[in-house]
Amino acid sequence: MPTILRCKCLIVGDSTVGKSSITQVFHSDSSHFPKNYTMTQGVELLVKPVNIPESSDSVEFYLYDCAGRDTFIDIVQKFWDHPSVVMVVYDCTNENSFSNCTKWLEKIRSQNSHLKIPGALVANKIDLEQRRMISPKQGRELAQSHKLEYFECSAKEMQHVDVPFFFLANEFHKLYQERVELFSTLA
Amino acid sequence: MFDVALASADAHIALATSSDEKHPPEHMIDGNAETFWSTTGMFPQEVVIRFQSLMKINNVHICSYNVKRIRLESSEGTDINKFDMLAEKIFEEIDSQLQQEEIQIEEKRAQSIRLVIESGYDHFISIHKVVVSGQAVH
Repeated sequence: MPTILRCKCLIVGDSTVGKSSITQVFHSDSSHFPKNYTMTQGVELLVKPVNIPESSDSVEFYLYDCAGRDTFIDIVQKFWDHPSVVMVVYDCTNENSFSNCTKWLEKIRSQNSHLKIPGALVANKIDLEQRRMISPKQGRELAQSHKLEYFECSAKEMQHVDVPFFFLANEFHKLYQERVELFSTLA
Repeated sequence: MFDVALASADAHIALATSSDEKHPPEHMIDGNAETFWSTTGMFPQEVVIRFQSLMKINNVHICSYNVKRIRLESSEGTDINKFDMLAEKIFEEIDSQLQQEEIQIEEKRAQSIRLVIESGYDHFISIHKVVVSGQAVH
């Protein structure tokens, strides 16, 4: 019997950076990109299993797609206890959304100060090359300063959207193996 | 008084919300602290231990790692939905050492107990031993 790990994944970032698009493209195995914008109010929850390569294990993602608008922050924060992993998303054509990433991450980390939470920083909308404001280098540096892994994708073109999720699933799986190793040394 | 939750005393696991076949819930009641049940992510997690018959119980000893808030309940019948609250406790955080926690109960008739782990100090917790002192009701 394979082991199924359950993983609560928070997806945060400013409004309109494409959190729901990324989540839905990933959830639908790249068969659905929401063409019309619907503002997320509160939190949308989706469940998605991912197989871990070279093992019979899988990670079942509970994707908490969190509203980015300030108006909803009080509701959204109620869902932030005990996240397993976190994904912070920005729009690479929007400087504000980039500089706000730190704020999003710090809010989550301060609410869960005792936990080590694996995380990914995701630059979305890389298809809009002409309008790009934030370079990959800037993205990478910010990620590094917060101990996150850096990724870029285009939800619209369905490019590289899965990659950060696979990374997070693997990190969580590694964490589990480390902990189990520790548990077996305790008695 | 003896440990009525031991598998060798015909107790068994009726339900568990996590299962890694290398660390199954049965490891909590095998009498060996080296083997353990590990949860596989997210909270709450719960486990139901059913005794061989109706018992009078008065003490529960839990040997665990990284458990924070835990709730202990018991049921007299076999109805999985009817549990009475016995205790709620916050276990102390101990680094690289097992938590040894004692929960005293005023004598209670029970056929099964339910442990609900509401939160942990980490993503995953382990329970190495659950010892329930009691005796059969005649």
